[in-house]
Amino acid sequence: MTRVIHVTVNGKSHDVEVPTYRTLLDCLRYDLGLTGSKEGCGVGVCGACTVLLDGKMISSCIALALFADGREVTTVEGLAEDERLHPIQQAFIDCGGFQCGICTPGQVVAAAALLDAIPNPSDAEIREWMLGNLCRCTGYYKIIESIRAAAQRNRT
Amino acid sequence: MAHRVVGKPIGRVDGIAKVSGEARYAGDVTLPGLVWGKALRSPLPHARILRIDTSKARALPGVLGILTARDLPPVLVGRRMFDMPLLARERVRFIGEKVAAVAALDPDIAEEAVGLIEVDYEDLPAVFDPVEAIKDGVPVLHENPGAYEGALPERPHPNVQSVLRYRLGDVEAGFREADRIFEHTFRTQLAHHGYLEPHAGVVAIDEDGRVQVWASNKMPFRLKELLAHALGLPAAQIRINLTPIGGDFGGKGSLMDLPLAYHLARLIGRPVKMLMGYTEELMAGNPRHPAVITLRTGVSKDGRTVARHVTALYNSGAYAAFKPAPSVNLGGASMGAGVYRIPHLLIESFCVYTNNVPCGHVRSPGEPQMVFAEESHMDMIAGELSLDPVDFRRRNLLQDGDLLANGHALEHVRAGDTLEAALEASEWSKPKPGPWIGRGVAMTHRHIGVGFTNARVRLGADGKVTLVIALPDTGTGAHLVLRQVVAEVLGLSLDEVTIEVATTDAFTNDSGVGGSRVTHTGGRAAYHAAEGLKGQIMAEAAKLGAPPTAFAAIAQAAAAQGRTLEAAHFYDAKAHGAVTSFTAQVAEVAVDPTTGQVTVRRFTTAHDVGTIINPIGHQGQIEGGLIQGLGFALMEELRTEDGRISTLSLGDFKLPTIQDIPPLTTVILEDAVGPGPFHAKAIGEGSISPVAAAVANAVADACGVRILALPITAEKVYFALRMKEQRS
Repeated sequence: MTRVIHVTVNGKSHDVEVPTYRTLLDCLRYDLGLTGSKEGCGVGVCGACTVLLDGKMISSCIALALFADGREVTTVEGLAEDERLHPIQQAFIDCGGFQCGICTPGQVVAAAALLDAIPNPSDAEIREWMLGNLCRCTGYYKIIESIRAAAQRNRT
Repeated sequence: MAHRVVGKPIGRVDGIAKVSGEARYAGDVTLPGLVWGKALRSPLPHARILRIDTSKARALPGVLGILTARDLPPVLVGRRMFDMPLLARERVRFIGEKVAAVAALDPDIAEEAVGLIEVDYEDLPAVFDPVEAIKDGVPVLHENPGAYEGALPERPHPNVQSVLRYRLGDVEAGFREADRIFEHTFRTQLAHHGYLEPHAGVVAIDEDGRVQVWASNKMPFRLKELLAHALGLPAAQIRINLTPIGGDFGGKGSLMDLPLAYHLARLIGRPVKMLMGYTEELMAGNPRHPAVITLRTGVSKDGRTVARHVTALYNSGAYAAFKPAPSVNLGGASMGAGVYRIPHLLIESFCVYTNNVPCGHVRSPGEPQMVFAEESHMDMIAGELSLDPVDFRRRNLLQDGDLLANGHALEHVRAGDTLEAALEASEWSKPKPGPWIGRGVAMTHRHIGVGFTNARVRLGADGKVTLVIALPDTGTGAHLVLRQVVAEVLGLSLDEVTIEVATTDAFTNDSGVGGSRVTHTGGRAAYHAAEGLKGQIMAEAAKLGAPPTAFAAIAQAAAAQGRTLEAAHFYDAKAHGAVTSFTAQVAEVAVDPTTGQVTVRRFTTAHDVGTIINPIGHQGQIEGGLIQGLGFALMEELRTEDGRISTLSLGDFKLPTIQDIPPLTTVILEDAVGPGPFHAKAIGEGSISPVAAAVANAVADACGVRILALPITAEKVYFALRMKEQRS
């Protein structure tokens, strides 16, 4: 069985016909061609598929596409504005906040949401907020450094 | 020598595509007509296949084709020893072995179809423990393993895949010289690499028969050879298209599903994508070998290690296919000697067949297991001799001219300096801040990798330089390092050097990524190619009477004559040199006496390194490896019961999170003596191996219990504490 959903992704609206069992992640990747969001664990614990649904972080690998009907989704592809990287994206580059980059789409989406919610987070707040985003390359130190640097730039 | 680009903390300017979501990994590749493949895997550890019925799966709308072993040539695959079928033929040997493969219009249909294939099995007796597997009368996994291509002749038991030995002196004579002899046995666990990109591959067959491959594979040229072997095709017919790799840590060097994707693509005439789900990764993703390691060491009255015999049993699972070394074994076994002078040494490493998941290479293969055992053993000996564990190490550390287990004599040995640096930075000599807090030290060394790399550099009409390479970046920032090397040689800024990642058509060969080799071999290939180009530029400048820095004018003058200034270099490092890299680490832990929970309060890691090309990337390797080591020490375990892994998701198989990382102090001892460009060394595998032993030694120091089996969970510490109370 399929249904047509109306979803706004990164400011652009789409009508998409999806099987009812289609996950939001598969819909983004395969129906809309937005392959930035990644499937890591597939069970909602690694955070590589993190997107914002009406501004709130979700694991798109365990959300049905139907769930996004009539709502707004922001993915990693939607963070930059007019070719200018979001400050958190630039900070990840400057500070070595990624290595292989597979978890990075989820990390930067989560970190951008953090800075929206708490513009100047403490280390404890960073660790609490980013707990759901696994990274196997960096050991997280440079992710924390990247988020601190972006927060610092927000202030100046 | 002062450098302009080398040694500068340049961020990952190569990674704009990675932070913006534009980078296309193998799993992101799409092609017109692309369809999806999925494998059916065995639910039993050892069984005969009686019947496979695919009729229900075939009847499912959207299913395009199904393969079983009957449809495939009887080829065996492997990286060095070829012992594994593409699909199980008559018999399965582990839970997760592939039995059939489906192609369908979408991934959900493919998965549903796999579930509709009916297989009747007849259970066979199985064996899971490597100690059991080499006894008499146990189930034998392979009737004649010596007949497999790439198998080595020595086989003391049919379930032994391979034996690797290291010898120095005369170990029996050494034990006769010893005043005291100590023997301890350790166990380590099955653990997955934990990369967050499960294996992905796309195979398309062009109209002219060319086989196009996109794969999460770090050795494209070896992959081409192995695929040619598996598919019975000339290697030239296959092209590997390089993509970024979403984490490797040793795991991404095998064929995985690619031969099946090819056969499905051929069967149905459309390109096929196969993605392993993470459950499949944890079930069948060539994880780290569990080990049972016994060390027996003879010590003289004055605390010198005079003799050692190490026996390692690595539980290799059902196939040897995932091990790439000519020894079909794990070089990490050589770390049984530690970083110590042991004149009489015998290390024997056995890789053993069992009905578990076949194991492969994981970041410093075999080494974290061995270093945990060896460095725990050193502390236990010191304890029994009432020696300070640091003093005991100091008496025995390697010095210039000493031999490694492999017989290589060392130069520029900084084992002592590295140890002292770690001790100082960790405030080792200061009193511990309270009860139930302990400190532990552990050391290792890691060779600088060898192999071969091709590089080509080309001067463009705009005066900028392009480096052409067919070496994937697994995440380490290797491409940035190579650009820095070329920029430095040619006196350019970083943004005047771009990198072009070629396919396997661009060069004849390349050993790919692995074994801490890329900065060395890729760096030297890029360095010498850039030197070659520099020579040409100087010669052209002299002819033109132009300044040698007028790159654009020089390039344009050459172009006017129909020439492009271009230089290539093939760099081949065959044997490890006389220089290695030492690591010394100190863990400070707190043990909760009521729960056994271990908290790492702080961690210090000291590294003896060469010239650092990129400090951010270098530190990133140290930190990432260290936290992987901490996961191995404390939490990561693929728990198995009779060959069945029960931790089949990343919710159950625990990787360290951002909340698990301790305050870290890094000490760098830079010494420009490496074989890499500008005297660089390797760093990728330098920080992982000693972590578990440092933690185990700290736990013993904190609460007096010695954990002999990884991971060091709260349960193990809790029960060890209760046992200790009962004894006293």
